[in-house]
Amino acid sequence: MIQLIIGQLLNGAIVGSLYGIVALGITLTFGITGIVNFALGAFMMLGAYFTWYGYELIGLPYPIAVIVAVLLVATLGLVADLGLFRFTRNNLVNGLLVSIGLISIIEASVLLTWTSTPKDLSYVLPGSLRVGGILLPKIKLAVFAVLLLVIASTYLALTRTWIGRAAFAYAQNPEAAALMGVKTNRLQTIVTVYSTALAGLGGALYASLYSLEPTIGAYYVLKAVESAILAGIGNTIGALVGGIIIGISEGIGSVFLPTAFRDAYGMLFLVLILLFKPSGLLGSK
Amino acid sequence: MMRFVPLVALACALAAPLFIRSDSTFAIVTFGLLLASLAVSFNLIFGFTGQLSFFHAASFGVAAYITAILVSDYRWNFWLAIGPALATVAMLALVVGAICFRFKLREFYFAVVTMAFSEMIRLVVVNWNSVTNGTLGMTVTAQPTLWSPSGPVALSGARVWYYVALAVLVVTYVVCQRVLASWIGRCFAAIRLNEQLGETLGVNVFLYKLLSFVIGSVLAGLVGCFYGFYTGFIEPQYLSITQSLDIISMVLLGGVSSLFGPVIGGLVLTALPHVIDLTAELRIILYGAILIFVILVMPRGIFGLFERPHHAV
Repeated sequence: MIQLIIGQLLNGAIVGSLYGIVALGITLTFGITGIVNFALGAFMMLGAYFTWYGYELIGLPYPIAVIVAVLLVATLGLVADLGLFRFTRNNLVNGLLVSIGLISIIEASVLLTWTSTPKDLSYVLPGSLRVGGILLPKIKLAVFAVLLLVIASTYLALTRTWIGRAAFAYAQNPEAAALMGVKTNRLQTIVTVYSTALAGLGGALYASLYSLEPTIGAYYVLKAVESAILAGIGNTIGALVGGIIIGISEGIGSVFLPTAFRDAYGMLFLVLILLFKPSGLLGSK
Repeated sequence: MMRFVPLVALACALAAPLFIRSDSTFAIVTFGLLLASLAVSFNLIFGFTGQLSFFHAASFGVAAYITAILVSDYRWNFWLAIGPALATVAMLALVVGAICFRFKLREFYFAVVTMAFSEMIRLVVVNWNSVTNGTLGMTVTAQPTLWSPSGPVALSGARVWYYVALAVLVVTYVVCQRVLASWIGRCFAAIRLNEQLGETLGVNVFLYKLLSFVIGSVLAGLVGCFYGFYTGFIEPQYLSITQSLDIISMVLLGGVSSLFGPVIGGLVLTALPHVIDLTAELRIILYGAILIFVILVMPRGIFGLFERPHHAV
């Protein structure tokens, strides 16, 4: 029993960090452009498919396939920002709906190109480590480590670099930031594209763990939005924490309660948080 | 002038069966009318009260399931089954709405929490296999009957269902129109335009938001009761987020600032993919492209193009 619980804890943490990386994109985009970009889920799914294509069909080494996939997704993100999201800044409902239109287009295009048959990557990194009687697949540990590293360096970049501090300043007071010489349009584009790249990376790593279907994007983006709100939207490290909490509450919830409702446990938790602490778990007010 | 558009449209709709010949055209228009009713009821909450609800699909689906289960499993009369279905939807909306509005959830937070409740209800429907038959869905074979001077008439055939759908739309439309024309509608407008100001002026924001949410949801339930019997099939997909999004798209396409806009949006968005012959995937792509185009190029919707630029109260 203890082993099962520890196993679920670790699994929950790893899945949760995947939610977390998409949630980080959601949080950053919301903070800087004022919209909730649901299309990040579709970009994540694209990242996964591009990785699969590069690794399985072209035969690139996995790390190269990941990098190529992330770059491709970021390019598409740039196109989407310049062509669409640029016109919906600070308009929550319009941004939401444009991103939903984009999801339909991306999902249907993937269905057309690669059909709905689930795709699997052959073992990227076989073998597992044994820690205190629990078997941990190496690939899961590697993915977890990369995700933690990326989220931590994003946090450092936000607090230590000029562009990061500009973003912070902009989130607090857009006009004052503009007066201080922050090129707000460019900042918004950079943040949107960086968020899509993060989602693409999430997808590229996801591909090495689970099988790919065109619907994974919609599933993960909902979890990511939950995670972002759970910790308090706008909170960088909170996105990761929120993701891990959701992942673990689903894992542990399905040990003690019916598995069929695993998606509901995270949501229930989220609703309670929103009702009693609307600024999120880690929120200040 | 714009006041007469709905009446002229109704006259055309009543006369339309004289000119429509094929059953498939009837089917598309009937679907369009039912979904248009759904869009009209949604716009009461979204366009007129300013609350982006994601609970609409749940209201619609729950009512569809309850009527179907009462009629097929418990042999209830269809018209009697509508009562408990709408009562349940009203109760659910009352509880969810009261929680959201009591805790003052706004905009995005309101959307996410209603979405979460809606998903929880969908999960119950998916997993309650003994009653709802789970993901497989239920086939509805029973046909409701309608009283007429020459004995009961079964609601079957394209023509009859066309008029039933039209009647559902008219009922939904008139209820919304009467509500909006009264003092209640003015309170809704006050909440939409400036909630704090409304509160200061003595509008009970909590009460009127809840009223809008419950009325809109019950009307969605009404559509659901009929929809299941028209299609003859009910699945958990009816309660999905996608279903809510479809409704939102229809409202936006038609125009949020009027009651009649969503009717146009519902009909156009239902008919368009069938008019242009495409594969399923290309249809979805077209659907997404239309949605994006409407929002970026004509944010006031189709009906907004013909309307003077003011927000109907």
